[in-house]
Amino acid sequence: MAQSQSTPNASAPASGARRQLATKPFSRADKLFYRASSVAAYIAVSIVGLILVFLLMRAWPALQRQGINFVLGSTWDASPDKVIFQIGPMLWGSLLISLVGLFFAVPMALAVAYFIEFMANKVVAKVATVLIDLLAALPSVVIGLWGMVVFSPIAAHWAQLLNQSFGWLPFFANDTENFIGSPFIAGWIVAVMIVPIIASVSREIFSQIDRDLINGSLALGAGKASTFFRVILPTSGGGVVGGILLGLGRALGETVAIFFVLNLVFDINWGDIVAPKGGSVASMILAKFGEATAEELNALMASGLVLFIVTLLVNWLAAYVVAKAQPWRK
Amino acid sequence: MSTIDLTPVARPANAEPWKRKDRSMVVAAGLAATVPALITALVTAALGWDPSVTVMAIFLPLQLVAAGIVGVRAYGKRGIAEASLIVVTLLLTALVAALLLSVLWSVISAGAQTLSWTFLSQNNVYISPTTSLEYGGVGHSIIGTVLIVGLTTIVTVPFGIAIAVYLTETRGKARGAIRILIQAMSGLPSVVAGLFVYSALIASGITQYAGWAGSLALLPLMLPTVARIAEEALRLVPAEYRNGALALGAPAYRAFLQVTLPAAKTGIITAVLLGIARIIGETAPLLLTTFAANNTSFNLFSGSMSSLPTYLYQYISNGNDTSTQRAWGAALVVLILVGILFTVARVFGRAKKATSKSLTKANNARKAN
Repeated sequence: MAQSQSTPNASAPASGARRQLATKPFSRADKLFYRASSVAAYIAVSIVGLILVFLLMRAWPALQRQGINFVLGSTWDASPDKVIFQIGPMLWGSLLISLVGLFFAVPMALAVAYFIEFMANKVVAKVATVLIDLLAALPSVVIGLWGMVVFSPIAAHWAQLLNQSFGWLPFFANDTENFIGSPFIAGWIVAVMIVPIIASVSREIFSQIDRDLINGSLALGAGKASTFFRVILPTSGGGVVGGILLGLGRALGETVAIFFVLNLVFDINWGDIVAPKGGSVASMILAKFGEATAEELNALMASGLVLFIVTLLVNWLAAYVVAKAQPWRK
Repeated sequence: MSTIDLTPVARPANAEPWKRKDRSMVVAAGLAATVPALITALVTAALGWDPSVTVMAIFLPLQLVAAGIVGVRAYGKRGIAEASLIVVTLLLTALVAALLLSVLWSVISAGAQTLSWTFLSQNNVYISPTTSLEYGGVGHSIIGTVLIVGLTTIVTVPFGIAIAVYLTETRGKARGAIRILIQAMSGLPSVVAGLFVYSALIASGITQYAGWAGSLALLPLMLPTVARIAEEALRLVPAEYRNGALALGAPAYRAFLQVTLPAAKTGIITAVLLGIARIIGETAPLLLTTFAANNTSFNLFSGSMSSLPTYLYQYISNGNDTSTQRAWGAALVVLILVGILFTVARVFGRAKKATSKSLTKANNARKAN
């Protein structure tokens, strides 16, 4: 202070440059504090990197042998004379199940979000929110047990009804008598698991809509339906899409619950959703892991790598879209 | 020259909507809400048709028509869309509630038959899939779960809070990117986390199946939950607190430890509890890293270990009745643990709201003075 008063010229040359008001940690303890927190953040980044590196390291032999056919082909043979590992049906199965799951989950989740945010009174809304959170916290192995013992027979019955009345539609075809273990049932199980994710994101976004927009629309004479479809949905579209993508990411990675309700078959099931054959990369890893040979293990690592990359991309996109939809949260 | 026609026109049917709640409307709404359900129930009972068919083919169209009629009476033409929206929303919400309650009810009713002190305290040594429920239980799995999840929690919580500190307290350049990455990490498939630890530690010979490998596999699954909720909690602490502490001359780390962190305490505890709830039922990573065991083991650092989810998995796969009974029992134990974590988290969440309310009250009082 005293120094700057005694030498006013010292600041003169810098008159053109903007003064910097940023403070920097100067004590050793503070530097340590900030350093530790940024190190933690970078370790989190490096965990993702490490997962990629380790999986790639183990997966390389399998990927090298099969090339692009690893994800396109549909043969899985561990017998020593001809070793072929390809996960086409599983990858397509994961996608098919996720799409079926989204088909059921999106309307249910949007309805729940709309119900909680705009229809229920305070008490009901609170109870419903707690229940949805509880549904999100149910472990997938418990859902798997319920799905196998309780839900599969019910859903198989629905599938049979669909097959009887709409069997002429290509995706309700089933040439066997068995309806247990179909992508239809797995899709329902996945839907049960992703409804709370989509619902809570959508509810969050709905609650952040400027109330004046909604009230304005109602004051102009729009009904609740047109307010929902022309004001609420367009305003919250980005966030809802992000929530759906988060659900998709979770659906693609779902392992144990699907393992118990799906009949894994290495034969591409393009769209017969009620037929008892399907695939899922994550469940396949779990199913094959126990008795895997060394080479098979490499192939499982490669499957894990493919799954990881796909879900990481979907989740990254989802997180980006959700963040974009809430520009007020820096 | 035209004259202005001053004869009154008929009022539109939907004028003054606030006055239209007359008796007949209430009766009509009540009828519309009950009659379709009654007809459906009668048809189902009388003709013995399949309930899934009658609900879709009779109840849904009838309910839409009935609600549409009431809607038209109340609001004119646009009432149809409105009534359909309400009917569809309520039906889908009821479907979700039915699914959730079905899960809860199955677990509680089937699990309650299995639950006993023996089941909670004994381990799985000498137990075959057909052994009667009087012997053997999940004692060893409860111990395993507590140890494995406990180790994960001890490591993950400071780690997650440090990330939250980076996201809220510093002005690091990578904050946006790291926030998005943490979000994306929360969707990491659990089996991939297991494969990662398997390939890094077990396949490379650093360790055999062991409890600590399982803890490590759970870490990337718990971390995003803790970091995200802790970040929310820290963000809720008013900037005045930090600035006040800094202005009084506290170094940043003390301002954080003594002011910000205590102010966000309840939120942080919620973060920890929900993080534990997230991983307590994870099965796939533990199957790949700790495997399963029948005996009670307190040693996290060598030898395979049992945990509730792997026990559950083992017995579901077996497939005979006693095994399924054991699986339901273990599921109930997991559900109870999740329920306890949830209730405690709710209680803390409520405490947080109470303090913020009392804070605003204190603020208002101060302003009034």
